[in-house]
Parts: sequence; C-alpha cells; structure tokens
Amino acid sequence: MLLTAVVFLPLVGAVIIGFSPARWARILALATALATWAISLWIAANFHAGIVDTTGKPLLPGSLGGGFQMVEAINWIPIFGIQYKLGIDGLSLALVVLTTTLSWISILASFAPIQTRIKEYMISFLILEVGMTGVFLSLDTFLFYIFWEVVLVPMYLIIGIWGGQNRIYATIKFVLYTLVGSLLMLVAILATAFAYQGAHGGVWAGAFDFEALRAYAGTTGFSDGLQLLAFAAFFLAFAIKVPMFPFHTWLPDAHTEAPTAGSVILAGVLLKLGGYGFIRFSLSLYPEASHTYAPLIIVLSLIAIIYGAIVAMVQPDLKRLVAYSSVSHMGFVTLGVFVFQEQGLDGAVLQMINHGLITGALFLLVGVIYERTHDRTISKMGGLAALTPVYAAVFGFFVFASAGLPGLSGFVGEFLTLLGSFTTNPWVAAVATFVMILAAAYLLWMFQRVVLGEPSAFLLGLKHHLSDMNATEIFTLAPLGALVVVFGLFPGILLNLIRQPVQSTLAAVSNATAIPVDPLFVSIGLGVVAAVIAARLLALRPRGPASGDSTAVTTVEGAAS
Amino acid sequence: MSNDILALGPFIAGVLVAIGVLLVDVVAPGKRAPVLVVALGGLAIVAALTITTGSAVAGGNGTAQIHAFGGAYVVDGLTTFLDLIFIGIVALTIVFGPDYLDARGLPLAEFSIVLLFAMTGAMLIAGSADLLVLFIALELMVLPGYMLAGYHKSDGYSTEGAIKYFLLGSFSSAIFLFGLAFVWGTTGTTNIDGVSTALQAIVAGTKAVSPALILGLGFLTTGVAFKIAAVPFHYWTPDAYQGSPTPVTGYLSVGPKIGAFALILRLFVDALGPLRLDWLQVVVVLAILTMTLGNLVALTQNNVKRMLAYSSIAHTGYMLVGLAAFAAGIPLGLQGLLYYGAAYSVMNLGAFAVVAAIQRRAGVTSGLDTFAGLGRREPWLAILMTLFLLSLTGIPPTTGFFGKAMVILAAVQAGQAGYTAVGILAVVAVINAAAAAFYYLRVVVYMFMRDPRSEEVPLAHGRLLWGGLAVASVLTVVLGLVPGPFLTIVNQAAHAIGG
Repeated sequence: MLLTAVVFLPLVGAVIIGFSPARWARILALATALATWAISLWIAANFHAGIVDTTGKPLLPGSLGGGFQMVEAINWIPIFGIQYKLGIDGLSLALVVLTTTLSWISILASFAPIQTRIKEYMISFLILEVGMTGVFLSLDTFLFYIFWEVVLVPMYLIIGIWGGQNRIYATIKFVLYTLVGSLLMLVAILATAFAYQGAHGGVWAGAFDFEALRAYAGTTGFSDGLQLLAFAAFFLAFAIKVPMFPFHTWLPDAHTEAPTAGSVILAGVLLKLGGYGFIRFSLSLYPEASHTYAPLIIVLSLIAIIYGAIVAMVQPDLKRLVAYSSVSHMGFVTLGVFVFQEQGLDGAVLQMINHGLITGALFLLVGVIYERTHDRTISKMGGLAALTPVYAAVFGFFVFASAGLPGLSGFVGEFLTLLGSFTTNPWVAAVATFVMILAAAYLLWMFQRVVLGEPSAFLLGLKHHLSDMNATEIFTLAPLGALVVVFGLFPGILLNLIRQPVQSTLAAVSNATAIPVDPLFVSIGLGVVAAVIAARLLALRPRGPASGDSTAVTTVEGAAS
Repeated sequence: MSNDILALGPFIAGVLVAIGVLLVDVVAPGKRAPVLVVALGGLAIVAALTITTGSAVAGGNGTAQIHAFGGAYVVDGLTTFLDLIFIGIVALTIVFGPDYLDARGLPLAEFSIVLLFAMTGAMLIAGSADLLVLFIALELMVLPGYMLAGYHKSDGYSTEGAIKYFLLGSFSSAIFLFGLAFVWGTTGTTNIDGVSTALQAIVAGTKAVSPALILGLGFLTTGVAFKIAAVPFHYWTPDAYQGSPTPVTGYLSVGPKIGAFALILRLFVDALGPLRLDWLQVVVVLAILTMTLGNLVALTQNNVKRMLAYSSIAHTGYMLVGLAAFAAGIPLGLQGLLYYGAAYSVMNLGAFAVVAAIQRRAGVTSGLDTFAGLGRREPWLAILMTLFLLSLTGIPPTTGFFGKAMVILAAVQAGQAGYTAVGILAVVAVINAAAAAFYYLRVVVYMFMRDPRSEEVPLAHGRLLWGGLAVASVLTVVLGLVPGPFLTIVNQAAHAIGG
C-alpha cells in the first residue's frame, strides 16, 4: 500500500485543492507534497538495500538478490493480462525520493513567482508528480506507458500557461517531440507483449508483466527482428526524453519558456525518465539489440557531451546555458549505461541523481535572479558578488558542483562513468574527459561574467529591487546543497542502494561482452558534429553575430509568430 | 410469429417512441418538457427492451441467434451491442440539442422525431440478415440525416451542406445498390448467409470468379467508403459538418458513421467474409489515406467544427485499422473496432456538445477565436473540452487511448502473423495520432493560454446539458480506466460474427 500511497497521494491533494478556495491552494499543495515526501522517506527507511532477499537478509556473493520489494499487484484488465503492479528496487527508490524532494521544493519555489491561476498550477504540479513517481514504480509495461503519458499533459499546461514569451511554441514543440517517441514505444510495448503471448500458447497472463518479460528475455529471449525494432522504438522515446543529440532541440526552448519550477522538474526528473527507461527496459528486455545499438548510442552520447558543452558556451541567456549544459551532462548518463560495465552504470545512475540535484538548484538560482531583474541576459549581469553576496556564494557552490569539482556530487558520477568507459572504450573516455575541461570553461566563464567584476549599469539601475536571497529561497536550496555535499563525500550510500539493480541489469546484458567502439565511429561522430555546427553557423550568419546558437532566440520568435 | 415480434421488439418500440413524440407535439405544440420526457423516457424503454431481447438470445458466449421474418432479420450479440450504442448516441444528441436550438428558434420536437427515425434505421442495419433489408435500413438511417443537415433552413451554409450531403449521399446509395445487384446476380440470393455460402464455393475454386463479382465488390466498397467518409470519398463531410447546426454535426459525425460500420460488419465481414483477403488490401490503402489526409487537412483548420469534421475522417481511418486486422484473421481487430466505435461516439459527442454550448447565443461562430480565454470565462466547459480532446488525441487514461491501443495491438498482431502491410498500419496510425495532438491541443492552447479578444459574459447552460456532459465525461474516463467489464460485452458482441 505504501507505493500506491506515494503515487496517488498527490492526486488526492489535487482533488482537495480543486474543491477548496483558491487562497488555500498553495499551502495545501505544499502540505501534500511534503506528506508525499515523508511517505517516500518512510519507504526508504523500510527498504532493504544491497544484495539481500526481500526480507533484508544478506545473500551470498554471486547472488543477485530478490529484485523488487513491496510489490503490489492487482489484475486490472484481465483479458489482456494487464496488471496494476508496482514495485521498488534501489534504482527506483533513489529516483522516487529525488522526485518527491524536488516536487516540494518546486512547489515552495513557485509561491512567489506564480501569481495567476494558482489553483490550476498547483493541481497540474501534483498530477505531474503522480505521473513521475508512477513511471519509476510501474512493473507493468502498459501501466508504465500510461504514467509516461500522464506526465506529458501537466507539463504541457505548466509551460503553456505560466511560461514566458514564446511559451506556446515551446510547449507544442515539447508535446509533439515527446508524443512521437512515446507512441512508437506503445507499438513496441504491444509488439513485445504479443510476442510473449505467442510464445506462451496464446495466454495473455504476464505479457505486460515486467518481471515475466525480463525472465523470458533472460532465458529464451525475443526474436532478433523484434528486438531490433522494439529497441529502436524504445530508444526513440527515451532518447527524446533524455534528450540525446540530435533529438534535443525541444529542450532549450522548453527550458527557456517554462516557469522556474517547471524547469527544475523538467531537468531534475523528466530527463531522468529517459535514462531510467534505458536501464530498466531497453537493457533488460532487449539485451542483444542493446549490444547492436551500443556503438551508435555511445557516439551520439559523445556528440551530445561535446555539442552541449560547445553550444552552452556561447549562450547569451542564463537559462539556455544551463539547458544546454543538461544536454552535455545527460550525455554522460547514456554513455555510462551503454558501456555495459559496472562502474559505468553506477556512474550513470549517480549522474542522473546528481544532475537532478545540481541542475535543479541552478534553475532555481536563475529563477531567483530573474524574479528581481526580469532578465536573464548574461551580458547585462556582472558584479553580483558585491551586490548580493549570499546569492553569489550559493551560485558559486552549485556552479562548481556542476563543473565537477571533486568533493561535490557532480564529480562522482562523471568520474565513475569515465572510469567505466575507460576500461572498455579508452578512446571514448579520452574524448569525454577532454570535454570536462569545456564544462569547466563555460560554467566558470559564465560565473565570471555574472558574479565577478564591477557591478553592471543594468544591475545598479535596479537599486533596491535587487535584494539578496530571502529565507524561502535559501530554504529551498539548502536541502539540495546538503545532498550535493553528502553524495559528494559519501557516494557509497547511493552505490550500496543501486548495487542490486545495477548488477542484475548487467547480468541481463553480460552474456555477450561489450563491443568496443571503433575509433572510426568517433571520428565520424566528430565529423557530424563539425558538419552540424558549421551548418548552423552558415545558416545563422546573415541574421546576426555568427556564434552558434546565440541567435536561436530570434529564430524561435520568428518561427512562432 | 411471436418470435418475430420479440426479435423486432426494440425496433418497433423505437418507431413507436418517434410517433409518440410526434403526437405529443401535436397535443402540446412548442413545449419542451413533454417532448423530452417522452423521447428520453421512450429511449430508456427501448434500451431496456434491447437488453432483455439480447439477453434472451445470447446464451453463454453470445453466439446464439434469433432469426426472424424468414431469415431477413437477426438478433445476436452484435445487434444488441450496436443497438445500445445507437440508442446512447441519439439520447445524448437529444440532450445536447435544446439549448442550441432554442437560441436559434429551431423546434426541438421535429429534431427529436427525425433523430429517432434515424436511430430505427441504424438499429435495422445492425440486425439485417438480408441484403435488401440492409439497403432499406441504410436509406432509413441516412434520409433523416439529410433533413437534419438542412435543419437550420434560414441559414445558407446549412442548406448548402444539406444539398451536398444529399446529392453525394444519394449518389453513393445508388452505387451501393448497383453493387448489391451484382452480388445478387453472382450468388443468386440476397440472404447474407446464403451469399456467404455461395462465395465460399467460389473461393474454394468449385465455381469460377466472374468479372461481375469483382465489379460488384468495387461498387459496394465505393458506396460504403462514401458513407463512412473514407478518403478519397470524403469530400461531402467538411461542408455538411460545418454547415449543420452543431448538435446535428455531433450526431452526423458518429451516428451514420457507426451505422455504416455496422453495415460493413454485416455485409463485408458476414456476407463477403470469404473474400476477406481481397478486400483487405483495399481497406489497408483506404485506412492509410483516410488517417493521413484527414489529419493533414485538420492541421490547417481554423474552425473547430471543421477541424473536428476532418479529425472524424482520421478516426474512421483508425477504425479501418481494426477492420484490416480482423480481415487478416485477428479477432482482436473486431473487438478493437467495436470498442473504438463506442469510445469515439462518447468523446466526439462530448466535444461537439461543448462547441454547441459555447454557441448558446445565436451568431457565435465555432472559430478558434471563440475559444480564446474560455478557461477563464467558463472553466468547467473548458476542462471538459480538454478531457474530450485529450481522449480524441489518445492520451491515457482515457477511453480514446485504450481504443487506439486495442486497434494498434490488433494491427501489430496481424503484422507478426505475416500481414506486414497491416503491421505497417500500426506505425502509420501512431504517427498520425502524434500529428493529431497538434490540432487538438491547439484548441486547449486557445482555451487556457490565450486571452479573449473581447470580454464576454459566461452563458447560462441548462441542467440537461450538464447532465449529458457529465455522462459523456464519466464514460470517457471510466471506459479508459476500468475497461474490463465493457471489454467483456464487446467480446460477446464480436463473437457473434466470428471475432
């Protein structure tokens, strides 16, 4: 019942808000989110981490543990063997707690910025939370798909109603991109279910049950043709969500236009749905196809890492810069997953959690400055250290965390991913490591332009409107900061939690060893990056300064009008 | 004889209700309440009769049948299921009508009477076991449709739409009848089972395939494609739909369409069943064209009614996917088609009801601008409209999603069973569904994300309308969330003709 409670409590809260006066909406939403958070922590307290059986008894080395805990299953649509089945393992637990934490923080952070249609906003946000936790906890592929789509609608409304200037263009783009991917995934889910049903004498029972499907994939295995097609469909859905190059173009627009809290959830949780999907479904259900596609995905990850960093460097807008840095950071996740190696996968999961914490915090911080200046243009900023010292310090902390400073959590994920890639694909690791310098460059350069130096005329002109962070803002960032330090110093907490899911996932794909990536692919990938960037530069030159995506804002406006 | 009356009971009751409304209007002309009481109360009785007749027939698995009138009429699980859908469609249309009609000075009584007669026609299709009965039933269903389309006779668009609908509709009926003649000529019988048996002999190779049969099949397909508005036989729909009074449009987009699908089930699946693999290819092509073109054109519409008209063409395409899968030997295809038909009726009627409610005041157009700021002006209407549009898009957990999932599952199954073309249909269908999201969500954008051009006061809506919307929205959610019990009913209906 605990898992059902954590998924559907926000829905209960949303219904209550719907029938309450609008002035209670904020406090009710926060109370609901905090209660949900408390339940998720209670689940964490009752969860048996490590290689244990479902009662928490440690198992012998070499055993993989009991898998999912607290499983709840009810027959939902018996004709097709579709179940309402929830269960949790270390991977989903980490992501669920991340979701519930970021949810209450986002709701609290929305108190000041959101002044119109508060009731609808809070209801959308709570329904969003239902979808997100549901995705992480579903053990039935059909149920998983439903929660996956449930996420879409509230986010569409959040960007479209409470977003910035070009919100409608951005939100439609977001929905269409996501929907194309997810609908093809639906076909893949149905095809997989039918293949399972066909192999079991036409009996539907288990055809949508993740555990049954995984067991089947681990023994008989799905046919090659189905694997290749289904993997491709799942890949498209997850790659768009992550987002991987070249499916990332919805992300900067969505981030730029979304309200602060929307960006926090988008970066903090929604992008993780893709990473989670890869680890949970793609690898376990289609292990052979995973190996076939791995080189392609590794190259795309590398491109994302490099491209995201380069494009982030030239962004004139703070939010767009953080958005592109997400593309780069999430590239490490897909890279870590598809090297099929324990450190790599560990690193990928850690990177997902840490990116959620750090980028979430960065978006909150951009929101703080935007609340005061109503501007996010980097060139107009400067000298915040003198004007708002607390803000500057907190901002600096998270910028360094994002750049991967050892001792803070951002470092651990990237380091483990690189370590994992190095043992199997040294070339890839070498290129990716080089990019960490780029990451430091764009983040520190941005930090220098915004925070250091003489206060800019624009900021001085704001006078007393430019106050330092208030108590609420510090309160929303404090837990994120604390977790960044804790996970930076003691990554073992998370590693112990995810050991069982990581090892059992690897066991599913380790029948064939990871295929090393040919340097040829790397050079082709680099060639593609060069071509794409060159094409963009050429295409943009007549309209403005030839600097990568810097004129993208005007392009978007042109397209929207 | 008593058996015959029993079988035809619901149909006779339907006719009696229509006559009853006619008499009520004579006794108390222009009064709204008595008409509604007699019409809706009568429909409740018809529904109850349908269920009793149906359950008297359908034993354990729904394959039992009553044949009446010398084998010209049949009651089986499918008849009962389709009858109930038609009754529901007409009841909802009558509920959604009064507000809109009052504002334009159009009488409610005639509206209800014509609808009720159309319903009896559709019910007769569902129970036809003879080609001639089938044709008469079809005409009985579509003739009231022409009258309804031109119901707002002082409105130029309404008249124009009605004339187009009438001309093309009669033309297609003639083509259809021509096709029936060829089938009769080849097989020597008008009885559906007889036709099926005769065709089996031809397929088995004991008799030669005559060119006349191929010609007949072509004519029949053309005629039916007109009726369900499949591309490229869809040209009448946008004008007829946009011109008609909005509640009528709602009815036209579901009633005659589901009726025509009932015809397909009786004619193509039942009678022409042996030729399944021949018409399968035609259905695949029609489905691809219908989905894709319907969606592409809907993308460019600025009028919500016209947009819904084109989108209804696209939905025809999704239902054809189910039919194609069934033709490829997948029983799930038929179940998906029936489920989708019911789901589509509910959500599409709901969407049109909201459009009608917004046009409560005479002269309000159904352009997108009318919807600007609706979320602020009339939040409940906007929320319900959003629900129906999400369901039409196919977002879970609505009934529209589950319907799409079933049809697609059937198509995927057919694809894996060796019918690659049908498998490809599944992919075409989902890409279309994604494209459709754009124009459905554009209405949501206008309702919630655009400010109205001028400040308009919220309109008062009758309790009847709210009641109807409540039923439609609850069904939209419940059929999607807990489809189990309904699926059992659908399966029984499908069993009746081998699904």
